This record gives sequence, C-alpha cells and structure tokens, in this order.
Amino acid sequence: MNAIHVENLSKRFGEKEVLKGVNLKIAEGEFYALMGPNGSGKTTLASIIASIRKPTSGRLEIYGRRPEDAKELIGYVPQENFSSPKLTARENLTYFARLLNYPAAETKTLVADMLAKIGLAADADKRVEKFSGGMRKRLEAATALFPGVKILILDEPTTGLDPAARRNFFSLITAAKDKKTTILLITHLGSDAELASRVGLIDNGIIIAEDEPETLIRNHGLEDVITVETAVKSDHIIDTLKELSIDRRLLETEEGYRIYSRDGGRVLAEVARSLEHAGYKVMRLEMTRPSLEDVFFRLTEKTMSEAL
Amino acid sequence: MGQIAATFSRTLKEFLRERAVLFWTIAWPIIWVLISSFTFTGSVPEMAVPYVKGSITISMTVFALMIAGMANLPSSITGDRENGMLAKLMSMPISPRNDFTGRILALGALSAIAAGLVIAVGSAVGARFVVTAAQTGQAVGFLILIICASAGIGLIIGTFIRRQHGAIMTGVGISVVTASISGMFAPYEFLPPALQRFARIYPISSASNLAKYFLTGEEFADYNPLTTSQITLTIALSLLLLILGINLYSRLSWRSE
Repeated sequence: MNAIHVENLSKRFGEKEVLKGVNLKIAEGEFYALMGPNGSGKTTLASIIASIRKPTSGRLEIYGRRPEDAKELIGYVPQENFSSPKLTARENLTYFARLLNYPAAETKTLVADMLAKIGLAADADKRVEKFSGGMRKRLEAATALFPGVKILILDEPTTGLDPAARRNFFSLITAAKDKKTTILLITHLGSDAELASRVGLIDNGIIIAEDEPETLIRNHGLEDVITVETAVKSDHIIDTLKELSIDRRLLETEEGYRIYSRDGGRVLAEVARSLEHAGYKVMRLEMTRPSLEDVFFRLTEKTMSEAL
Repeated sequence: MGQIAATFSRTLKEFLRERAVLFWTIAWPIIWVLISSFTFTGSVPEMAVPYVKGSITISMTVFALMIAGMANLPSSITGDRENGMLAKLMSMPISPRNDFTGRILALGALSAIAAGLVIAVGSAVGARFVVTAAQTGQAVGFLILIICASAGIGLIIGTFIRRQHGAIMTGVGISVVTASISGMFAPYEFLPPALQRFARIYPISSASNLAKYFLTGEEFADYNPLTTSQITLTIALSLLLLILGINLYSRLSWRSE
C-alpha cells in the first residue's frame, strides 16, 4: 500500500506557481529523499503532505485518507529549530507525547525510552538552549517517532551539522524508527539523499527524475568527476582548465572547480601537469565517483548551490 | 484535557524561565510599587497613606496583568510562529481551541503569581486593603476581567504582528500608553475630559477602578464605578475583546494557506 500518493498536485502563491502537477508515490516503509535547490518547491510539497498548507489543485492521500484526516499518522519535523529552548529534552518530548494523547503514566516510560534511543538519556534534564545543533535535531526528530506515527517527514534536518553529526543523526533515526515507518527526507544535500532507497530530483516545481540513487547516477551517463581546489581562484585557471576540458564539462564551485570527463585518469594527470606548469598551488586534486548533485547538474545545468 | 494540560504546563514553564517575562511582569511593577509608595505619599494625610499605597499597588498589579496578556502572550505565539513550532503543531492532531485554552490558562497562572507578589510587596511596605470576603471576591472578579481583556488584545497582536520582537514592543507600547492615558499612572482627576471618558470606556482602566473601589474604598477610587451601565460595559467589552482575540487567533493564525 502507498503511504503517500500525490497526483497532479499544484500549488500557487498569487501569480507564482510553486508546484506544477507533481506526481509521487511512496510505499510503506520506504526511505524517499526529495532533493532540490531552495525555491524548487520541495518544502512546499512537504508542508502540503503534513497538512500545513492546502494544494491549489490535485489529489493527495495518506494511506488512502485525506491528509487532514490522517494527522496522527504523520510526524513532521520542520526545518527550523522548533523545540522549546527553555524546556529540558524530557519536558519537550513529554509535551509532544501529551499532545498525541498518550496517558500521563505511559508518557513517562515512552519518553525515557525515546531519549535512550536517540542517545540523549544523559542530557534528558538539561535545557535545550544548552544543546548542540546535532543534539537538538535528534530531539526534534524524536518528537515525530512516537508509536503510531507511520510517516516521518524530515525537512532539511541536517542543515548546519558537520558530516559526522549528519551520519550520527541518520543512523540514530533509522535505528529508532519502526521498520514500517516511511521516511520522506527533504534535502539539498546529495550525501544525505544517497542514504535513501529512492530519490526524486525536483526543480522548478516538477520532479524531473526519480529512481534509486545508484540507478540515477548510472542512467544519466555521468563521467568521472575531477575536483580541483587551488590556493587562489582566477580566470586564468578557468582558461587553463577549459583548454583541457574540450568535450568535457567544467563547473566552477564555491571551493574550486569540477571537471566531468569520460577519461578521468588521463585528464587528472593533464590538470596536475598544467597547473604545476602555470605555477598554481594545488590544494586538492582528486577523481571521485559522481554524486546526486552531479546528476542534478547534468539534468538542469544548475548546481544545487546556485539557488541557495 | 491532556492537550490543554500539556500546553498549559509548557507555556507556564516558558514564562517562568524567561528573564524578560519575570522582569517586566513581576519585577518592574514591584519596583514601581516601592518607588511610588515612598515618593508620592509625602503630601497625603497620614491616615490615608496605607490606602493610597493600596491604590498604587492595585494600579501596578493591573499593569502586571496588562503586560502579561498584551506582551507575554503574543510573544509566546509569535515565537512559536517564527521558530516553526506553529507549523509543527498544525501538522499534529491538536485543535486551536485546546492550544489557546492551554495558553490562556498559563497566562492566568502567571498573572495570579505576578498579582500575588505585587500585592505581597505592596502590603509589606504598608498598603492596606478593605478585606471582606464579598469585596475581595468582587475585586478578584474584575481583575480576572482585566486578564481576559489583556489576553484578547494579546491574541489580536499575536495574530497580526508576525515577528516576536514587534509583538513584544507593540504589547508593551499599548500597555504603557493606555495605562498612561486612562489614569492608571496619573491621577484620574488630572486627565482632560476626553481621556476621562476613555478611562471609563476602556475595560481595563474601568475594571481597575472597580477593583480599587472594592479593595480600598470609595474615597480612594478614581470615581464611583458602581453604576449598572459602567459595570455592564466593563464586563461586555472585556469578554468581547477575549472572544474577538480567540476568534482571530484560531481562524487566522492556524489557517492553512
């Protein structure tokens, strides 16, 4: 059975059409990542599924029910830090458990168990204002993991976390959730989306591609990716790399440059030689497998960070 | 009941753990009770001093209730909107009715604590009140109406002002300005006729005067408020503000776009 079924869903804010006929089916127990840059419509879609917003047109069903009739099945974790900083972790979780109508006696045990599962038992009675970003995100995800919640919607949950904290977050959430719990992850990070069993790439209100992460990367004919970071960035470096990138794609990123090539090994050697010859200090030069961000670039000619 | 109790508990804890709330709702009125009790009673006949101090204490108690409803309540609402809590709540099976009931009960508890402390300090510095069960009951009733009216205004501010800082400033501004022009900070008899009329219509200053009338006696009240029209108007406008605030909050703040 589909946990989430979206059919031809559109959303308009005034003149602006943010979602343009989105179709999406997510099966029970699936971990689905919706990946796209800011303004692509992914958060709007998540908020419609969480029944915070209403669609302009189209159909949406949660386990065959209207979203407003299935609120008890959805655990939504907004992008912002919504937990109360003045309350302790235990008080925050107790508040949400009581909102879900768990009896007071049951709530105590439930909250203690949940705190242990997400690794916050030792900090249960500390005020959240003293928590690190990662601890707070785990606590907030836990508010959506109580028994009975069947769909967990995480909107950009790892924003601001370092890679180690991001990995820790997902491993704890995956371990804490029920096996049948469906996860819908909203993200602009390829590294997060690659953890999902299926990924949808959304751009400009339309899901432009959807598949397993490996299949997406394989099917879009991506080449090797050569990442170049130099001590300084200059137009001359771009010109040098362009000369080497005939029939290859060159992308300038925040950190440096990325070259896509079907013959990565040879190009890597050429780049190293040319930059050394031109006198540039190379900080990082490596060949990696393509990521989902590279797939997005291939499909849209836009980087994920362009719209950020 | 569980949802109301959960919201009450969370909101009250947040109020009591926020220094700004404690300062403006409790410490500030107490400071003014202390300053006014020792500064503005020099020319008052000695026999009347305890009741003038009582009158000052009631004015500052009312000011505490105004700040609690008009600044702290909208601060809680807009803070929840800004940090995503409202979005989280809207995604959950909780009704706006349970949410605002829990918040208003927490406001009532905060107000009771603030009023108790301000009156205790006033009494400690010599304020005296006419204490009979009937008059105390009536005065408490009018203080509850002040909480209702302030909560109504607070809910309206929280609905229409989007940012927390703006909501707090608006609430404090309305409290200070309306208290100043309705005879709570300055003697009623010094107000121009237009403001005296405002003081009688504005439910908070009217209820404040009724509370003074019952707790300190007729001679220390601003005017004799015991007329049917005055009492009816005060009750009606206080409840109207609360109902309007609740309606706007539950219809607009919780509205799915």
